[in-house]
Amino acid sequence: MNIIQFLYNAITIAEMEARKIRHDTTELWTRLVQPALWLLIFGETFNAMRAMSTGSFSYIQFITPGILAQSVLFIAIFYGITVVWERDVGIITKLLSTPASHVSIVLGKSLAASIRGIFQAMMIFVLALILEVHIRLDPIDIAGVFAVTILFAMCFSSLSMLLASFMKTRDRMMGIGQALTMPLFFASNAIYPISAMPVWLQYISKCNPLSYVVDAMRSMLLSGSYENLPLDILILIASTVVFVSLASVTIKRLLE
Amino acid sequence: MINKIWINYKCYIEQEIMSHFNSQDFETIGAIEANNLTKSYHGGIRAVDEMSFTIRKGEIFGMLGPNGAGKTTVIKMIVTLTKATSGALQVFGIDVTRSPETVRGMLGYVPQSISVDTDLTAYENLLIFSKLFNVSKKERDERITSSLEYMGLTERASDLVKHYSGGMMRRLEIAQALVNRPRILLLDEPSIGLDPASKKHVWESIKQLNRDGTTILITTHDMSEADELCGRIAIMSAGKISVMGSPTELKKTVGGDVVTVNLTSAHPIIAIPKEIGSVVHSSEKSIQILAINGEHAVPPIADFFRSHEIKVDSILVNKPNLDDVFMKYAKRRLADEIHTGASQERRNFVRHAR
Repeated sequence: MNIIQFLYNAITIAEMEARKIRHDTTELWTRLVQPALWLLIFGETFNAMRAMSTGSFSYIQFITPGILAQSVLFIAIFYGITVVWERDVGIITKLLSTPASHVSIVLGKSLAASIRGIFQAMMIFVLALILEVHIRLDPIDIAGVFAVTILFAMCFSSLSMLLASFMKTRDRMMGIGQALTMPLFFASNAIYPISAMPVWLQYISKCNPLSYVVDAMRSMLLSGSYENLPLDILILIASTVVFVSLASVTIKRLLE
Repeated sequence: MINKIWINYKCYIEQEIMSHFNSQDFETIGAIEANNLTKSYHGGIRAVDEMSFTIRKGEIFGMLGPNGAGKTTVIKMIVTLTKATSGALQVFGIDVTRSPETVRGMLGYVPQSISVDTDLTAYENLLIFSKLFNVSKKERDERITSSLEYMGLTERASDLVKHYSGGMMRRLEIAQALVNRPRILLLDEPSIGLDPASKKHVWESIKQLNRDGTTILITTHDMSEADELCGRIAIMSAGKISVMGSPTELKKTVGGDVVTVNLTSAHPIIAIPKEIGSVVHSSEKSIQILAINGEHAVPPIADFFRSHEIKVDSILVNKPNLDDVFMKYAKRRLADEIHTGASQERRNFVRHAR
């Protein structure tokens, strides 16, 4: 098992997802509704109210990276449901019976989730341009945002697969997904600055990985100051490695 | 053309496996060898219970048994999808727990339920799998084309699989297992839910693959399928092999053939000589004789009646089929189990009632 074969297998699994998306793009478009509502209604309203002190940026500027991160989080956290469904129709059994290592399959599946994440990010960029939100359009920053999006989707989709190996049914995954996304979202700096929170919530939000992702995206899309960026990305990479490794050990449990 | 490439490939794989052993070992090695294989689940249920068997290179081996006999569990252990609780399992002499990826590389697996990706085209399904089986880029297209051709799917290759019929999906399923050019093909109930024509098509392909040198393990509870395809069969019941042998051997164990002689007119009791067979049942106008070989017993029986000037209307030969074998070896155990299970349930019920 060499590294090239390993990566090649992972990319093949992601290719499978890309081909499916190409045949039917409906899901991509329907997934645009929620972030559009957040930006159009929530964002515009709070922007007009000027109720939140968001430093030198307008509120709609402030939440654009937050909504981008949130919508990718939704895709990733619920990715376990897709995997459970694929287990139900026998696809996972088939994949695990190929000589590809289980780590490469889990890695490939998490890459598949990031393909969906990339589409989401692209659409939010377009949306932001239509709404005339001022974001930095430096090519390197945009590439950076996509890189963080990919890592972020990989991290949380592998966590979702890890949970799915224990939960095993779509209903339970639905429940656990709901139970995770809302607290992660509201206890983060996605739609309000950490400084506006009560002290106890500030502590929680500092342990919340979503805060670091939003922070990384904000630094690239708005401020252009990168001092926290290495730490943000390091934490993301480390947790992705941990979750992918754990999920590749547990994924066989899905079949039991 | 297809066959030639296939055979070249077989030679190549043979050499590759041979490099693991010296030639003498390879001759004696079985395709699949299981020793005291056991799989137990939580709660102490033994899905597979100390099973030992050897599947020889180049044969079609059938595993028969009622639902829950442990057939699928055995296959899953071979494909390394589940680990044995104890015992040893080797594929071409390679231990499945030690080198699962090498073992999976030699196998083609067709699960019980349809598991091709219905959101992709047939071509894409095969493309993804040929990549996952590390088929080189050079060979890929040729392999995909020949697999599709082999299973008669070339014309519909670029249609989404969700528009396929059940029979076509099943054929695609086998085609998918073939892109790997497997040494052993594992088929878990391959003809379940197929119409007679599709079933015939699948059977023919299985036989052809076997003729081309692929060892095949098949599970089924369709007796005619086992009779048609398998060189040897094992009848399983409650995680154990009840009996193993060729279909002919097994049919013999349930007794010989029954020759029924219908007479034109009622006749008093007749004594049949022992060397012809023994009478199992007789009425005024019909006599049933048990013979080791029915066809061979017909001429002496006819001669016997002619010499006694008894007019015969017709002679029928009934050979036992695998259904009888199945009933004898699998159902008996099943019946025992239901019996003990039921009494256990009754006891529980009584306990609850108190």
